[in-house]
Amino acid sequence: MELGLYLGCLIPTEQYAYELSIREVFPKLGVELKDIQGPTCCGAPLRNINMSLTMYLSARNLALAEKQDLDILAPCPYCHQALTRTMAVLDENQELREKVNSHLADEDMRYQGNVKLYHVLDLLHDVVGVEKIKEEVEKPLEGTNIAAHYGCHLIRPNGLERPDDSEDPQKMESLLRAIGMDSEDYVEKLDCCGAHVMVNEPESALTKTGQKLEAVQERGFHGMATMCPWGQRMFDSKQEDAAATVGASLELPVLYYTQLLGIAMGISPSDLGIELNLSPIHKIEHLEVEE
Amino acid sequence: MSITDLTSMAKPEEEAKEDINEVLNGLKEDVPSFCYQCGKCTSGCEAFILLELEPSKVMALAKSGFIEELKDSDVIWTCLTCLKCKERCPQDLAPVDVLFALKNLSVSSGKQIDSGISNMLQSVLSSGMIQKPKEVRDHKNEGVNREDTGLPECPKPSQEELAKLQQTLMKVAQEKLR
Ligand code: SF4
Ligand code: SF4
Repeated sequence: MELGLYLGCLIPTEQYAYELSIREVFPKLGVELKDIQGPTCCGAPLRNINMSLTMYLSARNLALAEKQDLDILAPCPYCHQALTRTMAVLDENQELREKVNSHLADEDMRYQGNVKLYHVLDLLHDVVGVEKIKEEVEKPLEGTNIAAHYGCHLIRPNGLERPDDSEDPQKMESLLRAIGMDSEDYVEKLDCCGAHVMVNEPESALTKTGQKLEAVQERGFHGMATMCPWGQRMFDSKQEDAAATVGASLELPVLYYTQLLGIAMGISPSDLGIELNLSPIHKIEHLEVEE
Repeated sequence: MSITDLTSMAKPEEEAKEDINEVLNGLKEDVPSFCYQCGKCTSGCEAFILLELEPSKVMALAKSGFIEELKDSDVIWTCLTCLKCKERCPQDLAPVDVLFALKNLSVSSGKQIDSGISNMLQSVLSSGMIQKPKEVRDHKNEGVNREDTGLPECPKPSQEELAKLQQTLMKVAQEKLR
């Protein structure tokens, strides 16, 4: 299987560990990744400012994938949701599609509506499959209980096609179990990371982050797994700030699921960007980081 | 090219109001009679306790015509876009989308918005992305650039493609694509 990798903005400009681990694990699971050429922001971060820009930018990126005749892997839930929404709206509203296409024509592009979209979650769980992942595991990461953080945009709203259930997602847990880890439900599982107001209300944003981390830690989890660059940025990169904001001592390892998967598959941790995680990941057994 | 260029194309107030009514109507044929103020959206709102956002109140105010007041309030900028209100509304309404419409209206009427938010727009106009590849810190607190990670060059549009994109975005910003 071959897919076009559409990274959006946050992953290729700072969340390097997600990109590294994605580029490492998928080819080894039979999914070849080709870069989509000339991509831009999906438009989701501009939705606050002007919804037409969001619609146009999403459509443009979809059209780019169609130009290369590739279905898309969009590992950022924010992008994935914006692209899904645009596809749904343009599939239903032909008049709007023509309007969008008349602008795309200025850039020598056209959106036809025959591209498929995947996120890491459904690609691993529904396409690659849990059984195949189990087969590829060389080093099961046993004895560790990990909390799954999905990210709001990955599972909501139900009215759009999302990779897992909005109120009771379970696919990430089954993927964690596939690599030997334990993962169970917790009350705060669907809580938001706070990222969306990090620019204008940083203290509240970090409070959200800190509260969720504190809850996960108090429940005795050994760490947290994510599939969202915005969530990872809050829970891992900004864990120290979050701890200071809520006045708690937080020491929770937070990793991308693709990093954990890679380690279980026997890939060297440094090829998975493990040195870039700022939370105390060495607390998890099996994660040797060069000191 | 900047945010001020976009906002200086401010729409006349009347047109702006029609705009939001259209959005409200688009969300369900006749929003005013559909939101029955059950408060379910507010009870699950991620911004309720911390930031005092009450999506049900926003719906009530919008349906009573307090568009002006809402669009100038700071509270509309506290939504975390968790989408729980849209997910859970028994009437299939989407307070989150009403908030987006209000924020759009606020920008197009020329209200000064947080520089962090307008910077993202500036950056998309000039580079296609909300930010350029950054130097990050590793666990030893050493600086790491994209090049140091061994990742391939960041895929991006060419200068020529960017110039075309800018022009298109300026046009698109004044249209209703939704
Ligand atoms: S959940 Fe829906 S019907 Fe209930 S108050 Fe909120 S918007 Fe109105
Ligand atoms: S999307 Fe915004 S308004 Fe709706 S529940 Fe979440 S934070 Fe509240």
